[in-house]
Amino acid sequence: MQKTGKREFSELIEKHQGIIHKITMVYANNLADREDLFQEICLQLWRSFTGFRGEAQFSTWMYRVALNTAISNVRKNSRRPVFETLKGNEKVMAEDLNDAEQVKLLYRGIARLNHIDKAIILLWLEDKSYEEIAEVLGTSKGNIGVKLVRIRRKLEVWVSITEKQES
Amino acid sequence: MGFNYRKTRVMNEEKLKVMWNKTKSLGSESVYNSQLIQKYLSGRSNDTSQKIRNMVRFDIVLKALLVLVFGVDIYLFAGTTNIVIVSLFAILALIPIIFYERRMLTRFDEVADQGQNTREKLSSMLGYLKTKFTSTLLAISITYLFLFISGSLIYFYLAYGHVRTLDTIDVFVFAGFILIGIVFNFTVNKGQVKYQIKHLENCLSDLNDQALPLAEEIIENQRKQDRANKLILGVILVFGFVLLIVVLMNIGT
Repeated sequence: MQKTGKREFSELIEKHQGIIHKITMVYANNLADREDLFQEICLQLWRSFTGFRGEAQFSTWMYRVALNTAISNVRKNSRRPVFETLKGNEKVMAEDLNDAEQVKLLYRGIARLNHIDKAIILLWLEDKSYEEIAEVLGTSKGNIGVKLVRIRRKLEVWVSITEKQES
Repeated sequence: MGFNYRKTRVMNEEKLKVMWNKTKSLGSESVYNSQLIQKYLSGRSNDTSQKIRNMVRFDIVLKALLVLVFGVDIYLFAGTTNIVIVSLFAILALIPIIFYERRMLTRFDEVADQGQNTREKLSSMLGYLKTKFTSTLLAISITYLFLFISGSLIYFYLAYGHVRTLDTIDVFVFAGFILIGIVFNFTVNKGQVKYQIKHLENCLSDLNDQALPLAEEIIENQRKQDRANKLILGVILVFGFVLLIVVLMNIGT
């Protein structure tokens, strides 16, 4: 694994890039920031790759590095209005307009959460177990359980209220 | 009632997952090809830890060059006792700092490792920024001061062939400008990480109620351990100013 060259590693990232895209969608508010974050995550994955000993699943390790990069990647001047646009990614996100609206609504809801809650809900939506989420974030399973109840409730309420308001 | 609530909750949870799964197409469709990703792997990082790492690396190279320049100064001013002594002291002060910074860089690689879990990553970075970052800035300030001393010596040699004595006001003006430069550099860099520190603290307290107090406890211990380093670096900085005055006022010729 450690002898993997840049070319092989890029192919590996190409295969798993969906994970990075989802993280950039959750943590960056516009296309330019998403591209910057995508590039930064790729770089950090490559730099951390020598430390990957295959003890965890590749995707779990990828979530850990990518989320750590996204959480710590904060810029003083990037405080733009929350989730200003999804243009440029809509075509790959959903087939029809209704789906696109639904996805947009969900991302807008997630964008309102803090950096840690974003990571928790993202991992849960990706069907990760409480144990895996706790391992990635370095906290207890119980804490994740408690937090998830609050985050989901917050998100559900916001989604249903906004849906009603916008329909 | 309880059954209905649970049913509604499960339905809502399902709804969120259904909405999320509509983005699944992202996973199967390649937006970036491997050639582009390969280019990204050789790109420049905007990460704070990478900026700090580069800053320390650059400073190590600069200090190593300064050691060489002071060596040249000794050769050029071989007959001037005070300059030879000043240059020797400068070399003796710079070499241990180069090793200290080298060690700092190795430790920083552990701090900046993105493969740790989020809590470890946030607390180790917060610990570095709240304690060792000041030592890093102090070590870098020393470079600017010694750069000025070695540069002035070369200038004096090329312009006059010997060290020109400056009067007290000139010395105060020079020392004052250097001091302002150091304080400015310190304030700007500290200001830049202030926002990062606030963000890390917020993330740690959002992670769980104990994460931030636990990290603060570790940071307090690190701060105590680092006190000696800061004191030594501060003494070298003051010592550097004394050497500067010796050179500019040509004391002990």
